[in-house]
Amino acid sequence: MFLRKEGEDMRIQEAKSMYDKLQILTDAAKYDVACTSSGTARRGDGTGMGNCEQSGICHSFSADGRCISLLKILFTNECIYDCKYCVNRRSNDVERTSFTPDEVCTLTMEFYRRNYIEGLFLSSGILKSPDYTMELLYATLWKLRKEYNFQGYIHVKAIPGASQELVQRIGFLADRMSVNLELPTAESLRLLAPHKTRKNILTPMRLVQNLASENRQKIQLYRNAPRFVPAGQSTQMIIGATPETDYQIIRVAESMYQKFELKRVFYSAFVPVNEDVCLPAGTGEGPPLLREHRLYQADWLLRYYHFQAEELLSEENPNFNVLFDPKCNWALKHLEQFPVEVNRDDYKMLLRVPGIGYKSAGRIVRARKLGTLDFADLKKFGVVLKRALYFITCNGKMMYPTRMDEDYISRNLLNTGERLPDSVTQAGYRQLSLFDDVRFGGGLR
Amino acid sequence: MKTVYICSDTVTGIFSGIYDAWKSGKHEQDCGIALLGAVEQELFCDYVEVEESERKAQAVELMIRKHMGMRAYWDIFHAVLSPDRDKGNAILGTMMAARKLADGTKIMDHLSHPMVEKVFELSRTVAGEAHLLKGFLRFQELENGILYAQITPKAQVLSCLAPHFEDRLPNENWMIHDKNHQMFAVHEKGKHWVLVLDEYWREDRVQLISEKEKEYAQLWKNFCQTIAIQSRMNPRCQMQHLPLRFRPNMTEFRDTSDVRV
Repeated sequence: MFLRKEGEDMRIQEAKSMYDKLQILTDAAKYDVACTSSGTARRGDGTGMGNCEQSGICHSFSADGRCISLLKILFTNECIYDCKYCVNRRSNDVERTSFTPDEVCTLTMEFYRRNYIEGLFLSSGILKSPDYTMELLYATLWKLRKEYNFQGYIHVKAIPGASQELVQRIGFLADRMSVNLELPTAESLRLLAPHKTRKNILTPMRLVQNLASENRQKIQLYRNAPRFVPAGQSTQMIIGATPETDYQIIRVAESMYQKFELKRVFYSAFVPVNEDVCLPAGTGEGPPLLREHRLYQADWLLRYYHFQAEELLSEENPNFNVLFDPKCNWALKHLEQFPVEVNRDDYKMLLRVPGIGYKSAGRIVRARKLGTLDFADLKKFGVVLKRALYFITCNGKMMYPTRMDEDYISRNLLNTGERLPDSVTQAGYRQLSLFDDVRFGGGLR
Repeated sequence: MKTVYICSDTVTGIFSGIYDAWKSGKHEQDCGIALLGAVEQELFCDYVEVEESERKAQAVELMIRKHMGMRAYWDIFHAVLSPDRDKGNAILGTMMAARKLADGTKIMDHLSHPMVEKVFELSRTVAGEAHLLKGFLRFQELENGILYAQITPKAQVLSCLAPHFEDRLPNENWMIHDKNHQMFAVHEKGKHWVLVLDEYWREDRVQLISEKEKEYAQLWKNFCQTIAIQSRMNPRCQMQHLPLRFRPNMTEFRDTSDVRV
C-alpha cells in the first residue's frame, strides 16, 4: 500500500497484486473470440523455450466450452474510446489496471513451461493514443522474444490508427496479427463505436496483407529472412448487436477472405455487458448462439468446401435455417444434383454431400483407386451415413430405397434427430419452432 | 497349421514377432501375433514364443520405411502403441497387403482392406490421444526445479510426447510419468530424452513442489475461471472437448484447497 499526494487531496491507492491484475485483465479480454494457435510450424532452436505446431494445440477448455490455447489478456483495460458494446469503454466504472512488459513476459514464460498455454494473445485498451499503446505492445513482445527468448506462439492485436512503421515492426515479432472489424457494416460501426471508422480498421489490414505478401517473396529469395506474421491475420465481428442479416455478414466475411487474404473471420454472439439506447434491449434469451454457430458452419463451407456466399443465402432469403445446417439446407434446395455416386463423382461434388466432410471426402477419393467402396466402408471413413444416405449411391445403389423429394428427406432428417449443437441446446436457448425468427427478439429500441 | 507368435507388448516385442512371422513365409491366415498374457487359445494352432531382439525390430522398421514409405510407418508406429490386443495381426496383415500392391507406399489409402482399416483406426486413436495430451499435460515444478508431469493415457504415448517436449523445453530438466504403463520419459537439460521402464519409484519425491509452483497454479486456476463467459456456460460442450479422464492430472481441475497466495 502506498500513498500518493496529488495537490491537496490525498488518494489512497492499493498496489494491485499479480493475482488481481491477471483477474481484471483476463476478465476484460474474455470477449475476444480467437484463441487459435494454428498456422505456424516452427521448431525450437535449442537456445530458448518454445515451438509451434501447424495444427495448433488446445490446452484446456473453460466452463463455457471454449478452448483455452493462449494466455489471453489485455495489456491494459484503460481506454480513451467509448465503444458502446465494450466492457472497457471509458464511461464504464470498472476497476482499471495495466501490466508492465516484464510482468507479461514472466507470466507467459512461467505458464508456458508448465505447459498451461501455447503462447500469448495480447490485446489492449487504448492508452493515451493508438501509437503509444502500440509502442507498449511492441516493447512487451520485443522483450519476450529477445530477452526471454520465447519461441512459442504470439497473437497480437493491431491497434487501428497506429503508425505503419509500428505495425510493420510488431509483425516481425508476432505469429498472427488481427484487427477487429467489430461490426459488419460501416453504419453500425458509426453508431456503436463512434471513435472508430471503417477506414481506420481496413487500413492496417491492407498494410499487413501487403507486407505479408512482400515478405513471402523475400523468403523465396532468402530462406532465412525474418518472417512477417507467418500465421496470417484474422478478424472478428460482433453478431446480433446490429440489424445486419446473415447474408450481409457472410458476404462481408467472403470479401475479407478474397480481398484481404484473411486466415480466419471470427463471429462473436453479442453479450450485453452495457446498457445503452443504441444496443438491442436485453430479451433474457442469452446471446444468439445458434446464429453464431450457423455462421461458423457457413464460414467453413466458404473456406474448405468451395461454396460461394451467394449459393448459401440471397437477398430474398437472407437468414440461415434454424433446423438445418447451411450445407444440408443447400442440398435440399438442389436435389437435382443428387444422388452422387461415391465411386465415381469428383471430389468437389463429394464435398457438397451432407454428412461427408473434407477429410472423409479425401479418404474416399484415395481409397476408391484401390477398390470399390460400399456403405460399410464409408462408415469407417467417418461419413455420417444417417445424413448422407439420401444423397449418395454406392455402385449405383442407394442404401435404402428413398425418394428424391425435399419434404420427404427433410422429414426423415428431422426424425433421426438433426442434432442441434450442444452449445445451443445447453445454453438455455429458447425452444425452437418453425416460425421463429433467427435474429434476436428485441431489435433496435 | 496356424502358428501364433507370442511377444511382449512393446515396440521391440511386436516388431520381433512380425519378423518371425514374416520369415516363416506363411500365408496371412496361417500366422498371427498375440501379446504375452493376452493370448486367446485356439484349436489347431501352434504357439511359439518369440525371441525378442533389437536387431529384428530394426530390420522390420527398415523394411516398412523402405517399402511402405514414411506415412505408413507413421501409422504403424502409432498403431503399435495402442492398447488393442489385435494390433500385431493388423500390422502384419497390412504389411502383407502392401506386398500385393504395385506401389506399396499407397497402402494406407487402401482403406477398404479390413487390416489396413484397422491400422488406420488404431493409429488415428493413438495419435489423437497423443495430440490431446500435448495440450492437457501439466508440469509441476518440484523443489529442485525439475518439471514433473503425470499422465494416465490409454495408449503408450510417451514416445510421441517426448520429442515434442524436447523441442519445446530444451533447457529444462523434465520428466513425464505414465502411471498406467509405469513408464517414464526423462529429459536432462541440453540432452536427448530417454525412455525408462518401471524401475524403482519413490512417490514421495514428487510430493515436494516448489513455493513458486503454488503461486502459478493459483494464477492459472483463476485465469481459467475468469476467462469463461457466464452467459455462455456449457459444461457439456466442455466435457466433449475435455473428457473427465484427463482432468485428475490437470492443475486447473485439481482441488488444491490452498489459500490464495
